[in-house]
Amino acid sequence: MNVTTNNELKSTIGLSGLYYVMDPEIGLNIVDLGLIYEIQFDEDKHLITVIMTLTTQFCPMGESIVDATTQAMQERFQDYEINVKLTFNPPWNPDMISEEGNEFLNA
Amino acid sequence: MFTAGTNSPIKNTDYRVVLPFYAYAALSFLVATLLISFNVDSFTQHHFNGKTLAITHTMALGWGTMMILGASHQLFPVLIKGKLHSIHLAHISFISSALGIPMLVYAFYNLNFGLMADFGAVFINFAVISYLINLTISIVKSKKTNVHAVSAFTAVIWLLVTTFVGLLLVCNFQTPIFSKSSVYYLSLHAHLGIIGWFLLMIVGVGARLIPMFLISKYENTKILWWIYGLINTGLITFIITFTLGANIVFSLMPIGFILATLILFSRYIYKAYRLRIRKKIDGQVKISMVSVALIGIPLVVITGIILIFSSLGHQQFVMLYGFTIFFGFITAIILGMTFKTLPFIVWNKVYHHIAGLGKTPNPKELFKSKIFVANVISYFLGFTILSFGIINTNTITLNIGAILLVINAVFYNINVFTILFHQPKLQ
Repeated sequence: MNVTTNNELKSTIGLSGLYYVMDPEIGLNIVDLGLIYEIQFDEDKHLITVIMTLTTQFCPMGESIVDATTQAMQERFQDYEINVKLTFNPPWNPDMISEEGNEFLNA
Repeated sequence: MFTAGTNSPIKNTDYRVVLPFYAYAALSFLVATLLISFNVDSFTQHHFNGKTLAITHTMALGWGTMMILGASHQLFPVLIKGKLHSIHLAHISFISSALGIPMLVYAFYNLNFGLMADFGAVFINFAVISYLINLTISIVKSKKTNVHAVSAFTAVIWLLVTTFVGLLLVCNFQTPIFSKSSVYYLSLHAHLGIIGWFLLMIVGVGARLIPMFLISKYENTKILWWIYGLINTGLITFIITFTLGANIVFSLMPIGFILATLILFSRYIYKAYRLRIRKKIDGQVKISMVSVALIGIPLVVITGIILIFSSLGHQQFVMLYGFTIFFGFITAIILGMTFKTLPFIVWNKVYHHIAGLGKTPNPKELFKSKIFVANVISYFLGFTILSFGIINTNTITLNIGAILLVINAVFYNINVFTILFHQPKLQ
């Protein structure tokens, strides 16, 4: 898990919420799956930008995962506007799965 | 450095469009198995009889086509990375086919090719045209396409050709349109649907879904284009040999193309399996993979019919050929894929707005896994026993197989309707 951020403390709080967001097909949370690339905090605009990906561009659950990510972040940062952006550059690959995630998938 | 993209992922099709198709297909499957159990004698007769026609069309249209239409309304926007053009056209497609199928089946059951059959066939064609228009405009708007979307789109065109030929055949029973009787053209009508619609759609979309569910790193678009070309060439070759008449060598050509398709597709799925990240495979994906192997059974049977049995009484093998297609690979892949797609659609409906706020159940917890296992066991037993019953025309064997298939359909319906009526549970 390697999430780029400009605020480590707040990012950790955010990630604690994102552990509840599951990829429903895989049954693993999106943090351990390596879907979260970046969480940026703009204190002037009270804006949080989450840059994330999906395991595949064809993911039928994409809309649901993005909405759940927004809701989980909003739950923890109620005074902020949450902007979740999808990217496929770089595309997700299995090396992005955390050690815990790999243990879960191989169990 | 990451490149931030859009914040609007692929929009899912409204569940109200998709779920009726699933419910209708599940009930049709039960009806088809009940029709078999009440009419097992029809398996010992010539394949052109009212009961067999009714069972075949309940399976082909009510079960296979309705299920695929439902799933593809959900999956097609995913394949073209766009949005379904119109939910109204999707509703029209459902209502029209939902009305047409029972009319046609009822007419066939009573061997009455009158107005009921005409209207049934017209409704079904109208449903397919609505669906095709919907897909075409969706593609044009999306401007993105790939081998999976092209396969699915081409399959729908073949479906329209199939249903239109079907309409003409129904009319031909009353007023001669063709030079020969409709019975002569049955195999053309059937293969347009089996190869052009079912096989092309299942292979095209299956090549996307199965690796995705395995979380596989394997992807080879070139092979998939070859598969696409081989299926279409096989079907066109069949149409030419059927129309012009052919000797045994030419009759085997379409089988050769489909066999090559099967080998390439099996190899593709195997490679995806080998390069999968998820080591533990669930039962739904397993049965979908088994269905790939089941495509081989009708191929062996039809080759046998052409090479060996054509000089003998081969009626039972023709019956077996049809049975292993509709109750073999088509049913097997639907049994598996239903529980890889429907729980997600319902999960999205129920948990979309509360996901991320607490622990939600996994989609696979929306149905009973023990019932799924019982469903699969009764299916394979029923399929195998009934297949033997068809070959040896033994009524007891046919009855046992038929009862097992009814049990399998009951289990299937229990799970499908458990999912459809799922209520939210947030921990």
